[in-house]
Amino acid sequence: MDHAKPVGGKIFTPPILFLSLLFLIGFYFLVVRYIYGIGSVSNLSHHQAWGVWKVMGVLVGAALVNGGYVTAFVVYIINKGTYHRFVRQAVLFSLLGYSFAGFSLAYDTGRYIGLLNFFIPKYMQTNSVLFEVGICITAYILILAIEILPAILEKFMPEGGQQNWAASLHAYLNKILFLTVAFGVLLPTMHQSGLGGLAFLFGQKLSPLWQTPLISLLYVISSIFMGFCIVIALECLTVADFKSKSYVNMLGTMMKMAFYVAILYSVIRWIEIFRNGAAGQAMELSFESLFFWAEWILIVIGLYLVSGQKKLSSPKNLFLGSCVLLTGGILYRLNTYIIGYESVPGLTYFPSLPELMISIGMFALQIIIFITIIKIFPVITKE
Amino acid sequence: MDIKRRSFLKGIAGAGAGVAATPLISGTALARESYKLQDEHVGMLYDNTRCVGCKSCEVACKRANNLPVEPDEALGIYDAPRDLSEKTMNIIKMYKDEDETAYIKRQCMHCVDPSCVSGCPVSALNKQPNGIVTWDADACCGCRYCEMNCPFNIPKYEYNEFYGKIVKCEMCINTNLPKHGQPACTEACPNEAVIFGKTKALLAEAKRRIKESPHLYVNQVYGEKEGGGTSVLYLTKAAVPFSKLGLPSLPDYSQASASESIQHTLYQGLIAPIVIYAGLAAIAFKNRSGDKEE
Ligand code: SF4
Ligand code: SF4
Ligand code: SF4
Repeated sequence: MDHAKPVGGKIFTPPILFLSLLFLIGFYFLVVRYIYGIGSVSNLSHHQAWGVWKVMGVLVGAALVNGGYVTAFVVYIINKGTYHRFVRQAVLFSLLGYSFAGFSLAYDTGRYIGLLNFFIPKYMQTNSVLFEVGICITAYILILAIEILPAILEKFMPEGGQQNWAASLHAYLNKILFLTVAFGVLLPTMHQSGLGGLAFLFGQKLSPLWQTPLISLLYVISSIFMGFCIVIALECLTVADFKSKSYVNMLGTMMKMAFYVAILYSVIRWIEIFRNGAAGQAMELSFESLFFWAEWILIVIGLYLVSGQKKLSSPKNLFLGSCVLLTGGILYRLNTYIIGYESVPGLTYFPSLPELMISIGMFALQIIIFITIIKIFPVITKE
Repeated sequence: MDIKRRSFLKGIAGAGAGVAATPLISGTALARESYKLQDEHVGMLYDNTRCVGCKSCEVACKRANNLPVEPDEALGIYDAPRDLSEKTMNIIKMYKDEDETAYIKRQCMHCVDPSCVSGCPVSALNKQPNGIVTWDADACCGCRYCEMNCPFNIPKYEYNEFYGKIVKCEMCINTNLPKHGQPACTEACPNEAVIFGKTKALLAEAKRRIKESPHLYVNQVYGEKEGGGTSVLYLTKAAVPFSKLGLPSLPDYSQASASESIQHTLYQGLIAPIVIYAGLAAIAFKNRSGDKEE
């Protein structure tokens, strides 16, 4: 067993109060949206039907939370048990992220009652990538909830190893853990490939700088390096056990994996860009090419920050490197769905303030819940 | 033991990569061809050499389908939509340069292999046996993926309603078509600039017109091949190519078929996911005991 402990401390600290304020503002606009329609709070329109809600909530959010998936893979599949200490917080963050992705899907959809049709056989449309994504998100939320349950149960287990309902459920979950873990690795892979696949159907409406039949694969690969990065960045922020050498070493090894995966991603991206004949487009001076190069500058700086063994053992480089690479991955997603997407030439989209506030407010709520849970339940391991 | 596990893992990773790469390398295994135009498919043929821009078709469409007017900005009294919208599912647009004027009628193209149908997660969009692409209010969840993926930007969500619908031309399938045997727009047109019929017959008619007066037309029937073909066909006057009328130049296969080829290869019979799942579960099961001691 690991030795995770509640962090403890006061719950209503000033940062939490500030985040609560953000949440309340977002919540107010959410109410307005439900009364007066999507158009009343957002800049979504016929030429940009998906905006910051979908991208933030589903694409970026879901990529960020991939920490749960890569740590499960490293610990249970490649069998690096020493990395076990990272699992719980990563899984918790994934769970919250995916729940919010599901939630933002709900307020983004215009006929939300119709969301139930995802589960009614008569309406299921199995050729649709979006259907696959919806089912994967739902199933994965379930799996993550099962993965995090032991931490909650431990709170209710009697001291000294006596049996009670919590203890026996805990033991049972441990027994079937391998079944859940396998789902926990398979589902996000399918789901990430689906998020890329969604953009493939945009066809020519997506700029050739991003459009490729390999977009599903690229989404999976980028989600893996982003998963490592989010685990490292979160560790630096919450645990930051830098005195322990083995701890820094482990972060370094994860960063190294992220490094190679990111290289693989870059190579495939560029092969596809040349194959598409889009290299010329990258050289033109345009809004699109600006964001395209911003994406690559981030990736290159990120890679540079963590190249070589020396940099990999510096907590500062690990933190900065993971943040920068992460931002590069986020921008890739933003670019495929907003910047590189053009249905009517010349018309652009920028989210409105209320629209942004809803996303920010919901994100704030996510952080509040995360912090509160690690204070109360045994999630984080410190030596 | 260690070696065994590694090789097992490699096997799975290899299988996974192989599955993912199949459609891209061989392009055949489970490739789904673009659907073909059927004999019973109906459609429209619009010929802008005959259109005078009277907009009778627009008015008739709104009347038949009970759509609200979109007043112009200056006076606020005329119905003057500027583009397709949630209030306007049929529109006449004009192209003008120094010496040429040309009209184009825009509405749903009723694609032979529509992206909107392929992408809709809850079967709200359907291609009927007669080829008309319809929308089902009970099924739709308002995700607006159809708005995002339609190559012609046709479906329009009602952003200013609290529970908006998707609005698009359904060739009057529940309104004028059963009543008068044809859509309101073709019925209203004084010049037969837009006509209704079986798509195959319309295609033959379009080709006949080009052959009869080659100097009059661009030598292309838009919709014969574009995006795998559409049930609505266009002819344009020789001086104004389709690109100037705002019609995209699409490949001659449907994006839906390309997308579904990849999907089917990955998920056919759920075989690949099940195999990979079983593999992952087996590995996790094997690693289970070692994990506890850590
Ligand atoms: S034009 Fe658009 S809405 Fe109409 S059938 Fe084709 S994809 Fe669907
Ligand atoms: S908005 Fe409705 S019709 Fe369009 S893709 Fe989504 S569920 Fe289907
Ligand atoms: S009614 Fe006929 S002539 Fe008049 S604008 Fe419509 S298509 Fe053109």
